Amino acid sequence: METDRKDGRTPNQLRPLKCSRNILHRAHGSASWSQGETKVLAAVYGPKAGTKKNEDPEKACIEVIWKPKTGQIGKAEKECEMIMKKTIQSICLLTINPNTTTSVIVQVVNDDGALLPCAINAACAALVDAGIPLKHLAVAICCCVAEEGSVVLDPTNVIEFVFGQQMRGFAYLVFPNSALSALPEGSYLVNGEPLEHGIITSVTHGVMSVDEYLKCVDRGRAACAKLSGFLRNSLQKSQFPSDTSSKAA
Amino acid sequence: METKPSNGSPAKFVDQLVVPGDVILDLSTMAEQTIKLGGGLRQDCDAISVIKAGILRFSKPNKYWVESSQKRYVPCAEDSVLGIVVDCKPDNFLVDIKGPSVAFLPVLAFEGGTRRNIPRFEAGTLIYVRVVKANTGMNPELSCVDVLETLGKKLPFEIAVGLNGRVWVNAGSPSIVIVVGNAIMKSESLTKVQQKIMAEKLLQRVQQE
Repeated sequence: METDRKDGRTPNQLRPLKCSRNILHRAHGSASWSQGETKVLAAVYGPKAGTKKNEDPEKACIEVIWKPKTGQIGKAEKECEMIMKKTIQSICLLTINPNTTTSVIVQVVNDDGALLPCAINAACAALVDAGIPLKHLAVAICCCVAEEGSVVLDPTNVIEFVFGQQMRGFAYLVFPNSALSALPEGSYLVNGEPLEHGIITSVTHGVMSVDEYLKCVDRGRAACAKLSGFLRNSLQKSQFPSDTSSKAA
Repeated sequence: METKPSNGSPAKFVDQLVVPGDVILDLSTMAEQTIKLGGGLRQDCDAISVIKAGILRFSKPNKYWVESSQKRYVPCAEDSVLGIVVDCKPDNFLVDIKGPSVAFLPVLAFEGGTRRNIPRFEAGTLIYVRVVKANTGMNPELSCVDVLETLGKKLPFEIAVGLNGRVWVNAGSPSIVIVVGNAIMKSESLTKVQQKIMAEKLLQRVQQE
């Protein structure tokens, strides 16, 4: 593949990843996640007693607050909050602490493309840091579709030209992480596929055909396997409090 | 990235980092054994999966748990905690133990407590209590009775207990220090009644010498 992208990456290559945990001392869990220049800080508080008005008291309630880098909170931020809340609700075990509220606060430090996936990754790392019980982890990625149908991963904000074409659509995809298992291979399958083949969240913008979307899903899934390996390694380092940051290129 | 061992041997994961979603034990291969699960693990039909990231620990004969550090306290039975009284009700004191919900301390749960000599705690009083019950969905229940009182009736000793897990014991003779130390270490997994019996047995053995 030609490296036609501005920063010299191949279409399948991700930007350098960096993850730090336990950076805010007063929050119960915190993490910062950066992909290239995009950086997001997430903090988790809870579980605290009591749920909000229209929430089910038999389950734990998750509340997400999105804080943009500049400007007031508007509809776009509310949409991001809603997407993140639904994603986090599907990875948390809500029945363990009924009638409690866990707050996730997301602060955008710098936006250079693929902001929502970066925020979801940061929130997941912060939830692990806070010790909230989770079914599995979530890893998120952004895939773009170019004019002629080729798929590019992890774009930056600068309008990208791959093979001289402009992007016409993109998708944010969130997958469960690859898990180690003591079960014999093939026993823990859902409808004949291992758990990592499922999709937790998918948000699409722009125009793309069904085949292009499925190509995005395949490429995204492969990249997420690498991301989940990186997340596991960064959690490994954090067990030893002297070094709470990890990098990968 | 993914390693799937062919047998369900849990030894591969012990003392390793595990993350939520990992399955560490396959119960279908161990039909006749009982396993005890500590914190951070959950049973999903025939598989034991991890719900909190941490190092998997194993202690003989059959106890597995995930060791991790958190800032927020999760109430478990038999924990000793410091609580602050928030409110008084006719039957319980409401105590804040920094967990997901407020805990109840029954008014009679004190050494020699009767309806006549109910202690008077104001809001803001700091008390050192033990968690008796901590079920999900219910407020935890506390108690002020403990084993040190039983030992203290017969043996003279000084003790200071710190929240960082250290206990300092001082007494006239080394044998008393050892007896108190052993009593505390043994009482970790016993219930209130068992602790009293254990303490009394230890005292009898000390007085025989």
